[in-house]
Amino acid sequence: MNTVEISHVTKKFGHLTAVDDLSLNIESGKITGLIGADASGKTTLIRLIIGMLRAECGEISVLGLDPVEQKAELNRKIGYMPQKFGLYEDLTVIENLRLYADLKNVPYEFDKLLEFTSLHKFQKRLAGALSGGMKQKLGLACVLLGTPEFLLLDEPSVGVDPISRRDLMKMVRDLISPTTTVLWSTAYLDEAHSFDTAIVMDKGKVIYDGKPTDLAKTTEEFENKVIDLMGGYKKTKSRIAENYVYKHLDDIDYTVVADNLEKKYGNFYAVRNNSFNIKKGEIFGLLGPNGAGKSTSFKMMCGLLKPTSGTARIMGIDIKQDAEKARSNLGYMAQKFSLYEAISVEQNLKFFARIYGIPKSEVKKRVNEILDIFDLSEQKKRKTKDLSLGFKQKLSMACALIHNPPILFLDEPTSGVDVLTRRDFWNHITSLAKKGITILVTTHFMDEAEYCDRISLFYKGEAIAIGTPSELKKRVSAKTMEDAFIKLIRESDEK
Amino acid sequence: MKILWALVKKEFLQIIRDPSSIIISFVLPLISVLIFMYGINMDSVKVTFGIKNDDYSAEVAHLVNAFGGSKYIDSIVSDDMNDLTQKLVRSEIKGIVSIPNDFSKKLEMGQTADLMVISDGSEVNTANYLQNYVMQISNQWLATGKYAYSMSPMIVTPVIRTWYNQNLNGYFFILPGSIAVTMTLIGILLTALVIAREWERGTMESLLSTRVSKMQIVFGKYIPYFCLGMLSTIFNLILCIGVFQVPFRGNYIVLLFVSGLFLFSSMGIGLLISSKLKNQFLASQVSLGIGFLPALLLSGLVFPINSMPRIVQEITKILPPRHYITFIESEFMVGTVWPVVFKCSALLIVIGLLFFIAVYRSTDMRLTNG
Repeated sequence: MNTVEISHVTKKFGHLTAVDDLSLNIESGKITGLIGADASGKTTLIRLIIGMLRAECGEISVLGLDPVEQKAELNRKIGYMPQKFGLYEDLTVIENLRLYADLKNVPYEFDKLLEFTSLHKFQKRLAGALSGGMKQKLGLACVLLGTPEFLLLDEPSVGVDPISRRDLMKMVRDLISPTTTVLWSTAYLDEAHSFDTAIVMDKGKVIYDGKPTDLAKTTEEFENKVIDLMGGYKKTKSRIAENYVYKHLDDIDYTVVADNLEKKYGNFYAVRNNSFNIKKGEIFGLLGPNGAGKSTSFKMMCGLLKPTSGTARIMGIDIKQDAEKARSNLGYMAQKFSLYEAISVEQNLKFFARIYGIPKSEVKKRVNEILDIFDLSEQKKRKTKDLSLGFKQKLSMACALIHNPPILFLDEPTSGVDVLTRRDFWNHITSLAKKGITILVTTHFMDEAEYCDRISLFYKGEAIAIGTPSELKKRVSAKTMEDAFIKLIRESDEK
Repeated sequence: MKILWALVKKEFLQIIRDPSSIIISFVLPLISVLIFMYGINMDSVKVTFGIKNDDYSAEVAHLVNAFGGSKYIDSIVSDDMNDLTQKLVRSEIKGIVSIPNDFSKKLEMGQTADLMVISDGSEVNTANYLQNYVMQISNQWLATGKYAYSMSPMIVTPVIRTWYNQNLNGYFFILPGSIAVTMTLIGILLTALVIAREWERGTMESLLSTRVSKMQIVFGKYIPYFCLGMLSTIFNLILCIGVFQVPFRGNYIVLLFVSGLFLFSSMGIGLLISSKLKNQFLASQVSLGIGFLPALLLSGLVFPINSMPRIVQEITKILPPRHYITFIESEFMVGTVWPVVFKCSALLIVIGLLFFIAVYRSTDMRLTNG
């Protein structure tokens, strides 16, 4: 039995072919993982399946229905969680649940869902005030209401910490009936590896459809196989690092210092006693669940947010005394894409070159150099909003590095990025560190945490552990970084 | 029904949490009424003009005296024409009346005597007003004074009575009219953001994958904002009738009924903008442009429709405020005039339904791009 049967479907957006003559069956009662590079057509495929988009040609049948003509009927049977799930942020947790229960015509029975999401305590809190992980859990809870026959999840675990990610997985596995079909799009290959079926997409086509365990036994191998399928990743010398010039010759032992940083909102400590010293050329990772205070720490370190007490020093400059001068030593890549979308790639670079203080006469030369190093020359006239996520990421990094800063701050730089782009990205990061640049990075990918020289694990506003990845793993005798993460947090909870 | 109720309830919760819609509904009318009440004055303001008199006869002195002053006009007498010209240039006076030295002499001889009136053409209304005033006063002076014999006797004497507004009190019609402008703005502004907001925040995509129907989405937007808009209308009326004591001669039920129809039609404009643009910023800009300006300029409140070019007159017919202003002015000043009520209601219903259909048709049930 197949829940979805697709034959020869094509969907174009202007000149871009998002789904290209694709044929696919999705088996009933199974969990199917959908993986692929950015812009490979995953979201478009999901939207075609539920009739949210209309295909140019080809046939789609979902639960025996035509998703375009019989959309209303199909809607009753499915649960769909878009990438940006539509929680009403100005409604409370319970109001959101009630709304979706009414829309799906099911009774107000939320006990089980609230228990699974551990949102019991937060029922009256506005959805907008929840942490990223909790929002996703609430979104999933709304989708699971009324036990749909077919569940479609579009990257539910983007930007979610490992603990919340496990919760999401557990919710789906425990709350669906054995006959429920699940289509789960994800950038996490360990998730995909644990599913019944894996579909790998590339350039609008299916390039693998089968059991993930047939492809590889272990998660690491699976990742390598998937990368091979996508055309393979060849580690080359990072041109970005090669062209980087470390200009700061003054000898400082610790380029980045956090000295008892604290941020208090009312009686609530967002960050408390945060202290660490980062050496020149070190990659320092800040890990922790959503809402632990990583971003708050980050913003204080950049001088974007004033600490309640304590301070930070960037290249020896106190951010409380001269935030501007301290900041001039930083390249900052924000969590959310924060370039100007309406202007071209080149114009963005020129703008950042100017505000980072590059003299006007050198701007043009420097921008051309950067365009070349980052392989962005062909894209230079394109509007930033038309770029794929991978290119946007590259451009953000190019803007952060345009003034050759001795320090780079990266706030979840790889959130929502596919595995190939992530590998490439980390190749640049590690190579840059070798050239002497100090890097402070946050991430939810535990495999990325392994690349860090040292890690500070953040929980409830405090650093609960600092050390090298192997030290942390040894401390709780964990095999993987993810296990270490979860164990350390549980340990802290027990205290 | 349950789904519709859930959507309406959701929308009310959002209204309560978001102060901006409350501000639009209750603070905006307050500001608007205050501006219309004190800021815009349609009554003639006091005009000052200068008199240069070269004829020193007793009779002309009477005339100068007669020019002297009334409720709406003031004059200054000067011998220095240059000085008066300077004052006119500086806009301290709005005109000059010059009486030549042979003025009374010519009259004595039964000839036509000239009186020069200079007026400031940069303010056309004032200039006309001044010219009429001088004409009127000098005729009166002629008719009652020494030279009355030279006038042909009056055969027709107009007896002037102003109905509905004996004192020609400007704000009696300006304030009710302002309700139309305010209500247009409120109807459009409240609704212009609400569909665009759902698209921007991604809630629309989630809604569309539940069993919500198009009708429910559309009604789910109309009902809550209609209720809020009606509360705002009532607030407006209380301000006008209760606080500013504008006499109301009509029927409250008729007033609320037609106001409801009007709100329905202007909400349609806002919702249409919102569902077409799917972007809150654009929607709010556009709604100010096509909502507020025509309501103010093309509704007949400030500029009479009769004096507009033919094509513009036709355009005003599809604007809800035009019909509403016709209705509300008569309802306030005259009382319920059924033909006016029926005509305006019928037009508002037609316009409102047209917009409703347009909103329904432009509400996408699937994604069109991206």
